[in-house]
Amino acid sequence: MSKKLNIKHSILFRVRVSFILVVLFALAIVYRIGVIQFVEGEKWNALAARIGLQYREVEATRGNILSDNGSLLATSIPFYRLALDPSRPSAQLLQEELDSLAYRLANFFGDASPTRYKRKIIDARESGRRYILLNRKLINYQEKKMIARWPLLRHGRMQAGVLFEKVDKRFRPFNYLAQRTIGFVNENHNGAGLEYSFNETLAGKPGKALFQKTMGGNWKPVPDASEVRPVDGYDLETTLDINLQDVTESALLKALENHNADYGTVVVMEVKTGKIKAMSNLGKLKNGKYGEKYNYAVGSHGLREPGSTFKLMTMLALLEETNIHLSDSIDTGDGTYTFYNSTIKDHEQGGYGKITIEEAFEVSSNIAMARLADRYFGLKPQLFYDYIEKAGLTKPLGFQIVGEGHPKVKKPAEWSGITLPWMAHGYGLELTPMHTLTLYNAIANNGVMVKPYIVNSIRKADKVIREFGPVVMNKAICSPATLSKLQLLLEGVVETGTARNINNAQYKIAGKTGTAVTLKNGRYQKAYMTSFVGYFPAANPEYSCIVVIENPKGFRQYGSSVAAPVFKEIADKIYAKDIAMHLALEDDFEPEYGVFPVIRSGYREDLQFICNQLGISNHTLANEEWVKTKVEDNSVLWRKNQVQPGITPDVTGMTLRDAIYVLETCGYRVKMKGSIGRVKKQSVMPGRKVVKGDKITIELG
Amino acid sequence: MTARIKQWADANIKGDQVIWAIVFGLAIMSVFVVYSATGALAYRNMESIEHYLFKHMALIGLSLVAMWVAHKIDYRYYSRLSKLGLWLSIPLLIYAWKAGINLNDASRWITIPIINQVFQPSDLAKLSLIAAMAAMLSKRQQNIDDFKEVVIPMVLWSGVICGLIAMADLSSAVLLFATAMLLMFIGRVPLKYLAMLVVVGVVAGAIAMAVGQRGETAKSRIASFINATELPFQAEQARIAIAAGGILGKGPGKSDQRNFLPHPYSDFVYAIIIEEYGMLGGVVILLLYLALLYRGMKTVANSDRAFGGLLSAGLSFALVLQAMVNMAVVVGLGPITGLPLPFLSMGGTSLLFTGVSLGIIISVSRGEVDSEWNTISGEVKNVMKAA
Repeated sequence: MSKKLNIKHSILFRVRVSFILVVLFALAIVYRIGVIQFVEGEKWNALAARIGLQYREVEATRGNILSDNGSLLATSIPFYRLALDPSRPSAQLLQEELDSLAYRLANFFGDASPTRYKRKIIDARESGRRYILLNRKLINYQEKKMIARWPLLRHGRMQAGVLFEKVDKRFRPFNYLAQRTIGFVNENHNGAGLEYSFNETLAGKPGKALFQKTMGGNWKPVPDASEVRPVDGYDLETTLDINLQDVTESALLKALENHNADYGTVVVMEVKTGKIKAMSNLGKLKNGKYGEKYNYAVGSHGLREPGSTFKLMTMLALLEETNIHLSDSIDTGDGTYTFYNSTIKDHEQGGYGKITIEEAFEVSSNIAMARLADRYFGLKPQLFYDYIEKAGLTKPLGFQIVGEGHPKVKKPAEWSGITLPWMAHGYGLELTPMHTLTLYNAIANNGVMVKPYIVNSIRKADKVIREFGPVVMNKAICSPATLSKLQLLLEGVVETGTARNINNAQYKIAGKTGTAVTLKNGRYQKAYMTSFVGYFPAANPEYSCIVVIENPKGFRQYGSSVAAPVFKEIADKIYAKDIAMHLALEDDFEPEYGVFPVIRSGYREDLQFICNQLGISNHTLANEEWVKTKVEDNSVLWRKNQVQPGITPDVTGMTLRDAIYVLETCGYRVKMKGSIGRVKKQSVMPGRKVVKGDKITIELG
Repeated sequence: MTARIKQWADANIKGDQVIWAIVFGLAIMSVFVVYSATGALAYRNMESIEHYLFKHMALIGLSLVAMWVAHKIDYRYYSRLSKLGLWLSIPLLIYAWKAGINLNDASRWITIPIINQVFQPSDLAKLSLIAAMAAMLSKRQQNIDDFKEVVIPMVLWSGVICGLIAMADLSSAVLLFATAMLLMFIGRVPLKYLAMLVVVGVVAGAIAMAVGQRGETAKSRIASFINATELPFQAEQARIAIAAGGILGKGPGKSDQRNFLPHPYSDFVYAIIIEEYGMLGGVVILLLYLALLYRGMKTVANSDRAFGGLLSAGLSFALVLQAMVNMAVVVGLGPITGLPLPFLSMGGTSLLFTGVSLGIIISVSRGEVDSEWNTISGEVKNVMKAA
């Protein structure tokens, strides 16, 4: 019993001793609080005021803009600045590795001696600095990886105090190509194009990290502090085809330079989907050269009276509303026609006289369109407006690039007596080139109007975050009967009408020229906006395209002579590349028996490959590497051509490449005469022994 | 209404009412402080502040439940459970060290499948080790001087467990080893053996520094503590917080330093408490922990059996020592450790284990208070007869 009690007392005693120790410990804590607050208080308060801590944004990596096949159109390349917290490394580490680090730094940056670098670090350390920029120069990622393995620095941020400060630079691998379409965002968060329109998607979410102001006024990240990691931006996959864009841009540039025009724009669209495959905007810069400075195809500064290209809309309304036939005739008179106080003129001096409606469209008669519209819609203008509205030309398209120009089409209530006849040939309303193209694309796409789009998907690496895809705006903008007539009219323009200069035998183009007088400060000037819009191949349209060239100068300033050739050039190049568009060639060749390619002698596998490709029957007697040929009947027979080391081979009939290979493997040093053809002569007879280093001369011919 | 609550509490909340009150007090304080600390700029941007608040409240609630469940269990079962816990801890610790989730360069966490919650095996190991030590000490009180029978098994267990914890979490291991030593001291292990143990501990610590993941961190933290010319960033910011608090503090939710102090809701929560509630608040927290220790210790005096007393004292000391070390770090009495403040810091599953510890302490207190348990405690009577 007493032992038990003793045990208990002993335990109790020990617990109490421990408790008192803990109480003492607690008192020490209270004491320390007191010291910090009352003895050192001022010091800490002063430090708090001076220390300059701040949460600063850490930029997220901006997403890429890609072409339709994944080529980079715009990307952010990270660069780094190399900085160091010289107080971090231990004295021992410095002693062991600083010298070799200084040597590498001096070698790499090449701007100061190793001693200077060493002193820079040591001085900074001794003066208690906690941040120095080792060099202002930006280093790229590969260099960063290499530098991170250098002496001292390889011990990392905690032990060596190395800091790689990331600086992102925006880079467009294709430089000026589609520059305005790709766009930009500046420091004030203004911008244009895709970069601006999809800024939030591309930008990602910036993170936050605690930074401390250093003596030099730089901000140094605080290593142990908490941080919010940035979320990197998404990539944009566009519909742009970089080759097509290149073709488009150079064709447009050439035309602009030839005609000394103010600006020009070209848009190429895939008929079935509405994908923009190329979009080029070139305007005259202050230095007289052309550059991408504004997106005239989409933006509000691109709004213009469309002129003759709008006659398609007039015809659409007429064919839908009335039962006129394309063969009906219309009197265009002597080329002038007056509605109320306003005179409309045709291009042709003296007028076209009495012609069919089809001819009127093909020669682009203003009077015919004005009179027809006035005849059928003069009393019910609302109907005409309704057709325009139904075709989607009164509202913006909702294109993916911000700043889209809103079409200006007056409502009939605001119309005067001459509005309708003028509108019928493309005046008194304003559209962007993109809008006009969308209408023509719908005709090419059998009446289905699709919304043009340029961003195909938003993605994170290989993962698609959001896909846009084709959007049908209107399943049928007109009846099938009207549609086929409109297609016929557009083909007629190229076959026999104003654009016959671009007619060609390989493939059919359908389209419409436009030459609109420019309205400036409320008056029509002697300046024109020329355009051509259409699609090809007409039989099975793949692409639609609009070309607008503003204010070309010189003698011939028509849509047919300025804009249409640009269209043709682009269409030709697309056609040449796109095999699928070609009609199959007729199988009209006959084999030419007894005619053989010149092969004579060489490496059997190569020669056999050629013969097989050309469909020449060939067979072999020997399974040798090197052969000579013999023609037997209508086939080629391979004969053995002995090649063995130390014996001079027969290289006559071989190509130079084969001959040199064979001779050099035998030990010869080869000299040659002549420059084309196969080996005609060799200076040493076949079969002779070769001593290594002997010379042989071969003659080509 | 209040009468109803009292009635319910009397029926369901057994054991030392003072401990319950202290825990509730800490829990409420914890919600306030964590809410304020996670309101720091950095965390505000990631999620809504309420996200952290609700998560923390849920964990506090869960740990109170764990505590309640633990206090319902007869504490003598823990003797057996502790052995199981120890054996389970070894593979878990090795797994966490080798394959666990790496947070802040230390792999201390493993993910529990299905519920997908990370947990630290070291929490389980700590609890098990203390309970097992209490059991071993109580069984061997009669021949406590026997080196081979008594000291060796305890040294082995604490060495293995602390060694494994040390691989990924040196400060926890040191603290646990110290607690184990304290427990042995209380359990009457002769001082000469304890002195030997200190030597073993120092050697083991050195090995862990060399082999484990945290050796370098520990070295640099200790070095920066010893040559105090350059304070580490956290320490500097913590002192600014303490100095700014003054006697009465800036007021709840008015901390500025929470924006700059790393982990203001866990390792350095005490600095935020002082900044917002002043020295007064800091002292109150200290007193709460001391009171908790005192109540946990009181069971030793009341207890007839050594196991209950040692278990309660061991767990109380473990908890309060950790609190003291955490606060000591904040005020600059020791190198930076990364130990949370028990029941006040925001912190996942370790809160649950703290709850269980507290539950066991109450369970012991209850065992001595509730008469029904005395009638079935034949063990005590046998000992009495034998004595």
